Amino acid sequence: MSTFFAEYAWLVPVFPFVAFTVLTAMGKGLKKAGAWIGTAGTFASLVLSLCIAAERLSGDSPDYSNQMDWIQIGSLKLTAGFEVTNLSTLMLVVVTLVGFLVNVYSQGYMKNDERISTFFAYVALFTSSMLGLVLSDNLLTFYIFWELVGVCSFLLVGFWFQKPEAKAAAKKAFIVTRIGDLGLFVALLLLFWYMPGHALDFTSIHNVFNDSQGGAISTGITTLIALLIFLGAVGKSGQFPLHVWLPDAMEGPTPISALIHAATMVAAGVFLVARTFDIFEASQVAMSTVAIIGVFTAIFAATIGMAQNDIKRILAYSTVSQLGYMMLALGVGSVTGAMFHLFTHAFFKALLFLGAGSVIHSVHTQDIREMGGLGGKMKITAWTFGLGALALSGIPPFSGFWSKDAILTAAFDKAPILFVVGAITAFFTALYMARLYFLVFMGKPREGQHAKESPAVMTIPLVILAVLATIAGFVETPFNGWFGHWLLGGQEEHQASGLVMVISAAVGLLGIYIGWLMYAKGTIRRDAVSSRVPGLVVLLERKYYIDEFYQFVFVKPLQGFGKALELFDDYVVDGIVRLSGHSVAALGRLNSRLQSGQVQAYALTALLGIIILILAIAGRRFW
Amino acid sequence: MLENLPVLSLIAFAPLIGAIIVLLLPGARSSWLRATAIIFTLIPLVLSLWLFAAYQPAQGGGAYTEHSTWLAIPLNIEAFRGGITSLQLGFDYHLAVDGISMPLLLLTSIVSTMSVLASVHIRKRWKTYYSLFLLLLTGIYGVFLARDLILFFIFFEITLIPMFFLIGIWGYYGREKAATRFLLYNGLGSAAMLMSFLVLIATLGFSMVDETSYMFSGNYDVLLSNLTDPNVMANMDTENARYFGIFLTDNARWAAFILLLVAFGIKVPIFPFHTWMLKVHTEAPPAIVMIHSGILLKMGVYGLIRFAVFLFPEQLHSWTTALAVLGVINILYGAILACVQREFKLVLAYSSISHMGIVLLGIASLEEVGLQGAIYQSVSHGLISALLFLIVGSLYERTNTTQLNELGGLAKAMPFMSGILLVAGLASLGLPGLSGFVGEFLSFLGLFGSMKILTAIGVLGILFAAIYVLRSILNITYGQMPEQFSGMKDARFIEALPMVTLAALIVLLGVYPSILTDLMQNGFAGVLEQLQTRMGG
Repeated sequence: MSTFFAEYAWLVPVFPFVAFTVLTAMGKGLKKAGAWIGTAGTFASLVLSLCIAAERLSGDSPDYSNQMDWIQIGSLKLTAGFEVTNLSTLMLVVVTLVGFLVNVYSQGYMKNDERISTFFAYVALFTSSMLGLVLSDNLLTFYIFWELVGVCSFLLVGFWFQKPEAKAAAKKAFIVTRIGDLGLFVALLLLFWYMPGHALDFTSIHNVFNDSQGGAISTGITTLIALLIFLGAVGKSGQFPLHVWLPDAMEGPTPISALIHAATMVAAGVFLVARTFDIFEASQVAMSTVAIIGVFTAIFAATIGMAQNDIKRILAYSTVSQLGYMMLALGVGSVTGAMFHLFTHAFFKALLFLGAGSVIHSVHTQDIREMGGLGGKMKITAWTFGLGALALSGIPPFSGFWSKDAILTAAFDKAPILFVVGAITAFFTALYMARLYFLVFMGKPREGQHAKESPAVMTIPLVILAVLATIAGFVETPFNGWFGHWLLGGQEEHQASGLVMVISAAVGLLGIYIGWLMYAKGTIRRDAVSSRVPGLVVLLERKYYIDEFYQFVFVKPLQGFGKALELFDDYVVDGIVRLSGHSVAALGRLNSRLQSGQVQAYALTALLGIIILILAIAGRRFW
Repeated sequence: MLENLPVLSLIAFAPLIGAIIVLLLPGARSSWLRATAIIFTLIPLVLSLWLFAAYQPAQGGGAYTEHSTWLAIPLNIEAFRGGITSLQLGFDYHLAVDGISMPLLLLTSIVSTMSVLASVHIRKRWKTYYSLFLLLLTGIYGVFLARDLILFFIFFEITLIPMFFLIGIWGYYGREKAATRFLLYNGLGSAAMLMSFLVLIATLGFSMVDETSYMFSGNYDVLLSNLTDPNVMANMDTENARYFGIFLTDNARWAAFILLLVAFGIKVPIFPFHTWMLKVHTEAPPAIVMIHSGILLKMGVYGLIRFAVFLFPEQLHSWTTALAVLGVINILYGAILACVQREFKLVLAYSSISHMGIVLLGIASLEEVGLQGAIYQSVSHGLISALLFLIVGSLYERTNTTQLNELGGLAKAMPFMSGILLVAGLASLGLPGLSGFVGEFLSFLGLFGSMKILTAIGVLGILFAAIYVLRSILNITYGQMPEQFSGMKDARFIEALPMVTLAALIVLLGVYPSILTDLMQNGFAGVLEQLQTRMGG
């Protein structure tokens, strides 16, 4: 019943921010100690978040929020504040837990990097901003932190700034997500002007849009606002058609891929839609859009994932695909399903990325065709990775099964076609994970590769995440709707469907089985598909040529337009300026020629002038 | 203690005293000259900070007004009927500060201090340089403080001449052409301004000293009260009033308004009057571009607000759409061109055009939020572009080039400077938490109330800003570093000090905007209310 810890929730983002400040101020002098400062900051946040969670789990604690004025102009007030609800508490725990484990892991992974303190400073800034985002009580504060996590992502993707790929990827990540951010920005302006009293806080948004009478804001505007917010979410969460930045973002250090590009920041889009869900629910068009984009992204990215050879890119497409599931859940009205999948996905995908990092750390390549037989040498990595892969593939009783089942059930109730696509995606998911696992960990070890298990500082986080990836699903099963009840106060009825459960488990197992036949046992030839329809495989390998398409349709024309405009600026705008300058000079020269010293010429000019004057004065009466 | 001093005059004329002292010092002693220049730049800084601390928004700047008659010219009174005993044309020495000039005053004092520190890279004719520099400052302070049209005009002109020489002598290769272009363009603007001012003085500048003695003056307060207070007109003998032409006809009003728009539009600059400032950005020495881009362009904004918004709200109101369209053109035109430049200074020049477009949107909103946003954006852009050109100066000292394709990977050799450059760039692209965001957000927010589509188009500028900022800055600091830069040193203390100061202020304004918005409080409530009643009635 108490809100003791909740009142101090604002401290949660402050700890890592202090760590960031110290790391930035002390700079390189810190070296190794820098890593500890960063880790300590996140650990403090983790402890406080767990206290808040414990408080909220122990009883029906009321939501707690607190604001202060940020800008006051005339009668308008823009506030900044934080709010502790069960939804934000869940995110707090996910972010601080994964953040802390990634910090620990990075102490090993980044050990030999000379800019290690900069790395931890960026991570601390990211963690702080992400926690600020989670706690925001209004859309403006949310937007501020939303941009800040974006810039941290940019900094960390481009952490190895000398690599041209990293530079390009960082730039792409920032610019592509910013397209989405424009949507959110305009939505913010719209809400400001349409909301009664210019309120931007989530409580008011809930009250206004949840009002069954409606009428405060027309349906058209509601749809527009919802779609614009969704555009922001599409950018951040790597949904089609703005997904292109996320796979490239894998140029960043692998712990970053786990923290930012799998568990937390990319899920912020899902969190945003969940946070403003009342706006979406008020518009059928918006809901359908979310569901369709979500399910399309899910299957679209999963197909690409099957044809990639870079271990991190496979996981990146998998993330895009899983985020699509979450959007699908939101689109069919199941906030519980979306948040549940976000929760479990954070653990198993962070685990998979950190496991991939462990592999890369050991064999110094990211190409799965150059790996093999690592299972024998890296036992902990192999086992934990396997558990994560099972969770991702939706095999019972691992966590991913329950959350995916929740989504598929909701989709099944809403529109069977969404369910069918979702189930096919689940099959693909299991297949590409099986391919990945069998190619990397099974088979014959490569010659010349001296793989060895990573140090404990890296494997312990793997073990912890593996445990979570295995059991986290039991908070919400068809037999026990505790999670959904806690999260949303039991607004949603969870329908159990035996059929869905069976199908979802069956497609997962089938996918693994086929993967096993192809990549482990060899019963089915690996080139069974590529030899029959080579075009299809190339299409998938080249990611449906989306990047090329954008290059051709947006980037090049824009550059061309810019060049044309440059010519215009130089020759037309500045040309007129030059021309008027020259013409004044020419006029001057002409007049100076009149001043020839010939008295006759002066007299003639004077006479002309007098005649004109007389005509003008005499002519006045006729005007 | 300071209450009894003429603070505003001290702020405006301390640099002038400094300039005279510099002239008396031996020209070879660069350190003496430099020290003097720094001291006389710091005096206005300290005073304006004190003013900022003591400023009470509720009272306005009334306590610090300095007003005295400067000179009065008697006019012929024979033609008048009635018992007029005297008619004068008066020029006043009138300085004042309010919520609108206060932020710009602070901006000037801060940027000029950073600029004088950055002048360490000036290599020749220090004596002339510093005396012109200080003279320029007197002009700028005067512009933001003057409340008499003629005084304003004189200060405005004072800024032109030192600028001309500062560009023309200490600039880069094409400096002389740039200086000429600058002077001609701004001279045209000044001519338009003078015409408009003369019309205003000869009509609205009319006031009664007592029952029988009248006066024309450029006193801004008189103009404002004549415009707003109908009683002034009613009390006057109508026949004389008609003769004086005090009832500014609609056509004359429009003419004066348009002339002002042109005069200040050139300074801002509004498309298509922008080509002169590209030249100044690329050819003037970076320390001077800090002043130019950081402060001088804001004189245009200040002029638009002080004269166009306050004196001609109705005219402006019927032209808001046009102004907003011009703003959007500025934003997109500048931004798209910034995306394709190969020279870093040109990227920054076009980005200035783009950012000043946002200011225009704020003004076009004719809303308290938008107008304050316009001022906020001006201050913010002033700090950001000062910081960017500060870095450009230090960069050029080391690399001897600012061509994007010749640079790269500098973060390895100069991590500190590259970091600051990135912060400045992020501020420029409107990252929340830094000052640029607040100004943009408030301006867009203001305009969105009345012109949704136009604002939404303008918002696209934010996307292009991300493109040109990241494209250019990552080209400089990321990637592989060319061989010849490997031995380069990071910023020295004297360079780092202003960089850190400006960056800290950019963060401060981004996190705690009330520090400026509280100054402005309801700065525009009066004129907006008046506009509303006149529009309604």
